[in-house]
Amino acid sequence: MDIPFLLQGLTLLLGFYMAWNIGANDVANAMGTSVGSKALTLKKAVFLAAILEFSGAFFVGSSVSETIQKGIIEPTIFQADPMVFVLGMMGSLLATGVLLQIASYFGLPISTTHAIVGAVIGFGAAIGGMDAVYWGEVGWIAASWILSPVLSGIVAYFIFLLIQKKILYAIDPMEATRRLAPFFVFLCFNIVTLSLFYNGLSQLDLDFPLPFAFSISCGVSLGAALLSYKWIGRSHAASEILESGFHPAQAVSLEKALHHMQRVHLSNRSEAHAGKIAQILSDVRDLSSAVKKDSPFHHSSAHYHGVEKTFVFLQILSACLVAFAHGANDVANAIGPVAAVLGVLKTNAIASHSAIPSWLLALGGAGIVIGLATWGWRVIETIGSKITELTPTRGFAAEFGAAATILLASKLGLPISTTHALVGAVFGVGMARGLKALNLQTLKEIVASWLVTIPLCAILSIAMFYILKFFFL
Amino acid sequence: MLTIARLFGKSPFAPLQNHMDKVASCVGELPYLFKAFLEQDSEAIQRIAQKISNLEHEADLTKNDIRNHLPKSLFLPLDRSALLEILSLQDALADQAEQIAANAALLPVPLGEIPEMREDFTILCQKNIEVVRQARQVIKELEDLLECSFGGLEAEKVKGMVEQIAFNEYETVVVKNRLLKTLYSKGDKFPYPAFHLCLTLIEEIGNLARLSEKLGNRIRMLLELH
Repeated sequence: MDIPFLLQGLTLLLGFYMAWNIGANDVANAMGTSVGSKALTLKKAVFLAAILEFSGAFFVGSSVSETIQKGIIEPTIFQADPMVFVLGMMGSLLATGVLLQIASYFGLPISTTHAIVGAVIGFGAAIGGMDAVYWGEVGWIAASWILSPVLSGIVAYFIFLLIQKKILYAIDPMEATRRLAPFFVFLCFNIVTLSLFYNGLSQLDLDFPLPFAFSISCGVSLGAALLSYKWIGRSHAASEILESGFHPAQAVSLEKALHHMQRVHLSNRSEAHAGKIAQILSDVRDLSSAVKKDSPFHHSSAHYHGVEKTFVFLQILSACLVAFAHGANDVANAIGPVAAVLGVLKTNAIASHSAIPSWLLALGGAGIVIGLATWGWRVIETIGSKITELTPTRGFAAEFGAAATILLASKLGLPISTTHALVGAVFGVGMARGLKALNLQTLKEIVASWLVTIPLCAILSIAMFYILKFFFL
Repeated sequence: MLTIARLFGKSPFAPLQNHMDKVASCVGELPYLFKAFLEQDSEAIQRIAQKISNLEHEADLTKNDIRNHLPKSLFLPLDRSALLEILSLQDALADQAEQIAANAALLPVPLGEIPEMREDFTILCQKNIEVVRQARQVIKELEDLLECSFGGLEAEKVKGMVEQIAFNEYETVVVKNRLLKTLYSKGDKFPYPAFHLCLTLIEEIGNLARLSEKLGNRIRMLLELH
């Protein structure tokens, strides 16, 4: 058997193993909350995640993969000896795989993204010299690692603030949900379809310019929003008809009238109407307290349960969004180096314009799906039983923030950590007084983990390179 | 991975409500104490006072447990200081109940022998204990308040409850003043130590409602009202 063929097979195997690992461990982030809040059964969650992870990886996964393939280190530096580049990329893959295995054995919070980027930088800087690494691009990636949790936190904060102000604080939360939910559906669909139609369908040889892509995605999302409006309206139409007593809205309105009357009473300077004003004020006060007694404020918790029930469906949508975004961003960790190796082995020279072949993206997507099917479902189950605190409204806000950020990063070709984006988003919801208690310890762990992961993985990948060199050169 | 699951801390409300339950069990013994006090049954008073003291000690243990185990690295939906203030107000209620019991056990007082004072004293006790019960209801609403982020209808409901507490506290003051007036007018029927003890007791019983109102208002400060 000749060496290039062996290397090709080995690289594919390594890449597939990485994809399997991503599917096994990280997909739980997307679907865990939905299973935890019993919005989805485990089977349905796994099924949905498989479809969305694959399509995310296949359609939107290429730009991040290209970044890892040739955006971090300059392949042409290795022009003289392409095999060095091949072995280096393989070493990076191997190092990341080993580190992930160790991390999952000890339960350390390590991000695949940070590991692979660290490994590629390590090999590039040590073997190719400092000039081999695009430090500017690396700087961008590092900045995106800090910015992505912050951005997803901010988005989640504002989404939850919107839910608070417009739904939870509303006089009739159910009615407010009915009005606002289609808007959220529109946002979710628009993000996915826009990322698909704009530079996304090149795998199917369909490329649309931005205005056209934007109008198609708006059209599709509008349709989805209308459908959801009809559907929510039908399933909750009979919920808020009051048999007797006053509506809470009336009590609140009277309260406002009382405030205004009091203002008039206090600022009044004319003797002539003082008696009249005082009379009206006391009348309004009596009426207000009577109405308040009769209005069903005590049913309020039932209202919120209704809201949460509707948001269960929105949360499923946002979980799908996260799965899609995750597939789009993380498939690169497995496929990027493989693409680099295969590109060289095919021509036996380094080409600066080697695109990611579609079948490779499909292979990565398949690896993720198989990882999910063979091991990931267990992790989803465990995670789901531990995050029951993210009720559907909170889960939706957090997942939406994370998914929007991850998709944006994927489009920009920036490899970021899905887990960290989600952590940032959960903190955003916590900042809006949405969660009982958050453990700040986790933040320290995350910062510590990525300070350790990068150098460790860099050193490991250099070591792996020398081991591989010993065998193959 | 498990990072997300590890992100969530423990609920601060469950221990707080647990403490309030213990406080309520202290206050719950007071009706029996007052009955024995009016009957001048010093043996029963001693027994109940001891029981209240034990219950208060239990509440104290819970309180210390909360203070010691509130992790520093937690991010809560309400200020840590707010949480601790609520806790100390609850604690003050238990302390007050214990002090009332201890004072009632000091010496027999012929208060029960004067019919109108007996009646007002009973009303005063009942009303104060009722206000404490209402404050406990407010503490029980904390979980639901969180559900709607301390705003909306639920907040309106809690606001209404706090207003009701304030009104009932006012009523206890009315009864207290009436009772004080009678006490001073019949002062010559009491030996001096008993008279002074009566004054202290009436003041302290009134404190129950006062503290409960404070507790209610502290919760009200958490609400997002428009």
